[in-house]
Amino acid sequence: MNPSLTVAPGGTVPLVDGPDLAGLRARCRQRVFDAMAAHRVDVLVMGRPTEVTYATGTRQLWLAGSRPFGPSAIAVAATGRIHLLGTSDDGVPDEVDFGDLFAMSWNPARVRAAVAALPGIAEARRVATTSGTVGFEAFVHSVAPEAEIVDGAALLDTVRRVKDADEVACVAAATALAADALGAVAAQVAPGVTERELLAGYLGRLGELGVPTPPTEGIVCAWSSGESSVLRRVATDRRLGVGDRVVLDVAANLAAYEGGIGTTVVVGSDGIDLPDEPPPAARCAAEVFDASAAACRPGTTGAEVRHAVTSAGGAMPPDGVLFGVGLGVEPPVVAPGIGDDAVLEAGMVVAVCAWVADVDDGGWYEKRLLHVGAGEDGSAAIVGPVAPPPDRRPWQETAR
Amino acid sequence: MSPFASRGDDSTEPVPTVDGVAIPEVADRARMRRERHARLQAQLAAHGLDAVLLSGTANVAYAVGADAPASDPARSMLARQVALVVRGESAPYLRTPYPEGAPAALDPDRVAPAAYPDLDDGAAELVAWVAERVPAGARVGIDEVTHPLRRAFATTAITLESTSRVMSTARVTKTADELACIRAAEALTEAAMVDAHAALRPGVRQSDLTAIFLKRVFELGVENVGVDPIWQPIPTHKADGPRTVHGDLGFPSASTQATLAGGDVVWNDTGLHVGGYASDFGRTWIVSDDPRPTGEQIAQYVTWRTIVAECKTLAAPGVDTLQLCRLATKLNGGTKPWLAHFYLAHGIGTSSAEMPLVGTDLGEAFDERQVLGPGMVLVFEPVVWTEGVGGYRAEEIVAVTDDGTVSLSGDFPWAPFPEEGP
Repeated sequence: MNPSLTVAPGGTVPLVDGPDLAGLRARCRQRVFDAMAAHRVDVLVMGRPTEVTYATGTRQLWLAGSRPFGPSAIAVAATGRIHLLGTSDDGVPDEVDFGDLFAMSWNPARVRAAVAALPGIAEARRVATTSGTVGFEAFVHSVAPEAEIVDGAALLDTVRRVKDADEVACVAAATALAADALGAVAAQVAPGVTERELLAGYLGRLGELGVPTPPTEGIVCAWSSGESSVLRRVATDRRLGVGDRVVLDVAANLAAYEGGIGTTVVVGSDGIDLPDEPPPAARCAAEVFDASAAACRPGTTGAEVRHAVTSAGGAMPPDGVLFGVGLGVEPPVVAPGIGDDAVLEAGMVVAVCAWVADVDDGGWYEKRLLHVGAGEDGSAAIVGPVAPPPDRRPWQETAR
Repeated sequence: MSPFASRGDDSTEPVPTVDGVAIPEVADRARMRRERHARLQAQLAAHGLDAVLLSGTANVAYAVGADAPASDPARSMLARQVALVVRGESAPYLRTPYPEGAPAALDPDRVAPAAYPDLDDGAAELVAWVAERVPAGARVGIDEVTHPLRRAFATTAITLESTSRVMSTARVTKTADELACIRAAEALTEAAMVDAHAALRPGVRQSDLTAIFLKRVFELGVENVGVDPIWQPIPTHKADGPRTVHGDLGFPSASTQATLAGGDVVWNDTGLHVGGYASDFGRTWIVSDDPRPTGEQIAQYVTWRTIVAECKTLAAPGVDTLQLCRLATKLNGGTKPWLAHFYLAHGIGTSSAEMPLVGTDLGEAFDERQVLGPGMVLVFEPVVWTEGVGGYRAEEIVAVTDDGTVSLSGDFPWAPFPEEGP
């Protein structure tokens, strides 16, 4: 079920047939201004790439890693304008006026002058910033001397965490792309192949599908029977052997929305071993997933999700058992020591990562995305393909 | 490794050194980590800081040198790798979602799960963890202060300070091992680029080239992707490209599924990481089954090669970077040969563009004060442009050694331009 991929007029954002991306951009922009009004915020200073995407829909160059915080987009309530840091209009949607671009500079004095000159900044009384540095409050006060500085990340979180139908459609389409790549990687699995070669196949397949560098290099980790199973995300040159279990956890972006899917396969003598009956670890992982998914209802806390996981015999993956998915990963997060007080809401999309370690001399991992409250009676619905490729055994279809 | 010989390894040439240490063929990563830690300790002492708490990917890579999968900013900033370097201690602390990537020599007691400074409970936990490891009332350098972190630190006696001086001073000059990592990353980038260059034919999509390139880099042993590869068609007139705020050429533009047509002039730009260190590769190519540059295009290429060759000859310890800007401008007939929003050259290390920055809008006085020293790296990326013809752009990585420079780029062919250059 690959979405039909086309290139938008002007050669910008890759589109799918389903989502109304222009309408989505307009709604997201309006939600930002509505939230500013509700919190009496005059100016919102955004620094992170996903914030720029949410507020303006601008397509950005994919760069790995976290980067220093600075003003990348500035929304001004009084004028209804969002000023965008950028040199060119490449990837900038039509609704951002060309005059609303402000030039990037290596010179802090020039950046300050450019920001200070934006209409509505100097008289702002309440400025929200999405993060900061030690010197950033002084920067804000140098351009808006009277302003109180408040938490803009919390403000944006209130509008970003609940997804509308077009956002869910983007996540579903991205998940379909990820599932295609997972199938391509699974087809490579054979004795003698290395983890890194599987990673190469994953990135190559996504490129063939026409989507850019993925959100993260997938887990491609293997272990032999008798070895303790550890969930690793740094791929190695280890060669697969018959009977090894291999975790494949992939993700893809479409129109900046993330999709993802993960599963575990067993190495056979010539490809993947597909036994008629599931290994006990697979059965246990399916139970953990089902229990976690059943717990994902509006109002459920992170502590309750954690309890559901452990009660079903699940373990905590190092980077969490549940996290939000939208424009990349986002809150809520339920991870080691984190997220007990997080509360799920109807409309959130979350990834649930079911992991069991050392069951039947091996571990098992399954990941699916869930749309909270979208199923019957407030239950969660799986976003994207239900079963990962290769979906040739009924037991691989998790119950929900 | 690269099918092309590295420059400077001719046995008849003197071995290039940095602070008396020869640049090795393969980096000694354990030595590299020890030396970086010593530099950070010296900077903590020099600035009177008790510790630095680092969550920027390039800073963490420098302070710890842990392996981790490359991730987009959203993932990198939510479940964070964090480094804590405490004055007087022999090793850093690491928070990471990828404990398997911690250096083998790092005591497991110094490795803890990912930090979540964007979340209130995550920030409270991180600040409590820091407070257990620094003196009461400590002065702690920090590179990003999220709102939850600001609130959590406000409940302690810890004072927060900027890290920018500490980190830029430590990072700007590389050790011989750091230079070896950059050279290895560049060699792998060039080796993988052979297949992508061969696929550059009319009708190929930008994303097809990305597919070929990324598949190959991981087969060859690159550890991380740093930037989605750029394959941007460049017009003959600046106004025919993206509209820009300054009227100069719009570059770079992110790749899409756009199809490249016969005759397109394409600027390639990409970067990968080995040992945490970035490569930076760029070339100008012509999309054709039989690419033949015009005389004007060849003349631009020759000027580009001349600028880089002469800047490499001039660059040495004690030379200020304004001299490089002036030489490059003179060789380009009096016009600055770089884009208005960029530079003649930039440094590279655990970040793909870092100090020294040469020819930016920080101004001539800044460049005049910026003096080269052994271990600094310059990625020369001049642009030779003629309105109506278009332009030539490529990149070459050069390290400043004890007595001159050495190229860290390999011998990737200049095709379809004449190999011999000027």
